[in-house]
Amino acid sequence: MQEPGMSMMRAILVKRNEPRSEDEKNELQMNELRELAGAAGYEIIGELTQTRHPDRKYHLGRGKVEELAQIVADLRPDKVIFHNPLTTMQIYNISETCRCETIDKFQLILEIFATRATTHRSKLQVELARLEYELPRARAVISLLKKDERPGFMGLGGYEDSYAQDVKNRMIRIRKELETIQKDNETLRAHRHSRGFSLVALAGYTNAGKSTLFNALVDEAVESKDMLFTTLLPTTRSLNVQGRDVLLTDTVGFIEDLPHWMVDAFRSTLDEIFLADVVLLVVDSSEPLELIRKKLLVCHETMWDQLQDVGIVTVFNKMDMISEEELQERMLSLGYLAPDPVAVSARTGMGFDELKASIHDLLPEWKRITLSFPMSEEAMSLVAWIFEEGVVHSVNYEDGISIDLEARDKIINKAISLVKTLS
Amino acid sequence: MFDIIAVDISGRHKVKDGYFMVCAAVSASVTADHVEKVNQIAIRTFRSRSAPEVPDVVKMVEETVSELKFSGTLVTEAGDFYNKPQWLIDSMFSHELKYQESLSERRCIEIAHHVSLSSRKLLLKELDIQ
Repeated sequence: MQEPGMSMMRAILVKRNEPRSEDEKNELQMNELRELAGAAGYEIIGELTQTRHPDRKYHLGRGKVEELAQIVADLRPDKVIFHNPLTTMQIYNISETCRCETIDKFQLILEIFATRATTHRSKLQVELARLEYELPRARAVISLLKKDERPGFMGLGGYEDSYAQDVKNRMIRIRKELETIQKDNETLRAHRHSRGFSLVALAGYTNAGKSTLFNALVDEAVESKDMLFTTLLPTTRSLNVQGRDVLLTDTVGFIEDLPHWMVDAFRSTLDEIFLADVVLLVVDSSEPLELIRKKLLVCHETMWDQLQDVGIVTVFNKMDMISEEELQERMLSLGYLAPDPVAVSARTGMGFDELKASIHDLLPEWKRITLSFPMSEEAMSLVAWIFEEGVVHSVNYEDGISIDLEARDKIINKAISLVKTLS
Repeated sequence: MFDIIAVDISGRHKVKDGYFMVCAAVSASVTADHVEKVNQIAIRTFRSRSAPEVPDVVKMVEETVSELKFSGTLVTEAGDFYNKPQWLIDSMFSHELKYQESLSERRCIEIAHHVSLSSRKLLLKELDIQ
């Protein structure tokens, strides 16, 4: 995402660990922050951690912030990035002490989304998420900025309300606009359903390999990288699953501690998952068992309240990178979190047949029927139409036409009534 | 399929001069993403003058679960035990206990939550406590 020839922004990463928390967990969280910073185009020039309870004023201890200020003075980074959520007061105090712009993990995620948002809709979503983040801070920011200045006669007026109100108004406007776009998308989805397409969505933790699997399944070239949040816009392509055409959608990945307002802001992106007939929950099986469990947990937590009556297939991707025994052990231990597990390798194409069979089993049911009618010109056009709309298992042209077909209810009923008019 | 018992307590805030709590335990058979069968639901009420501490919550859950005919792993929200580590809470129970993880476990806790909340509302109305 960094233009060649441009110098990368430099950042120092800071994390406060909870006392008595597991080292392994802290290291994983730090690693994720490193990857996020990398995805946002930062070069990491320093790291700092402290284990303590949060300080109201500085989040870290005062001494540690002074140490951070010294490091900033020596290394001159463009930004200081905190893993932990910071209050406006803390951001202000740390920035003042360190003389460097300070952001937290959510602002970093917003930055990534903002730089990759290309369509009108995704730009609106990013703006809405930014405003949602800003709203509770709006008053505090103005109080801090205008500390010594009060507008109006003798300084009794206030900026706070008008600014917060302005943020609210902008949010309402954006929501309305997003609603209109969402309605258009819902109509498109209803249209796809009525055309007989079933919807299948890829979901999973960020960097699980959803886009690679998508490319391999539909033979496409959607951008896929070993980087967090490569996909921000859902892409849909048609996929043939044992004779039935389904629409497969690649979606944005989940991440730990993603706040609910952010899930709401990107709801229309996530709707692709929530309104699908089948969800493919992709996990990277080459990772350690505990890490897979934690990532699955995040997926369950993000999806559980929104999913209704959806079939879920858990796809253990990257099976070529571990041994058969390791794979079996992981699938067995994660059984309670992984519905309908299937192991595949998006790189080699291993396990695709089993995956398609699992998807087929969970698709909305189609009926199977045998129709017989006399041969005529109209009958031939009916056969052509049936071939287009359903799956034909066999056709027999001896003594009239006998056709064994599988299709959704609506098509079967229409075919039966057409056959009646023919005979 | 796994057998679980999802537990939720409503009313952990002061009303008038005490705490009127309802604990609901839902015994269910689940897969990772679906609740296959709800076997039984048990409800019990508890009163206390002071705010419940962790040992009190453990006692309430144990008492409610003892009314069920079915066994299974207890599943609760971490918040019910003041976000204390799972291993610590698990060691205080005679049953196996875990915090909610899968879609179906969350769905069962949702059921327990609605049961405890609505039965508490009904009780407060009937006993005329507001």
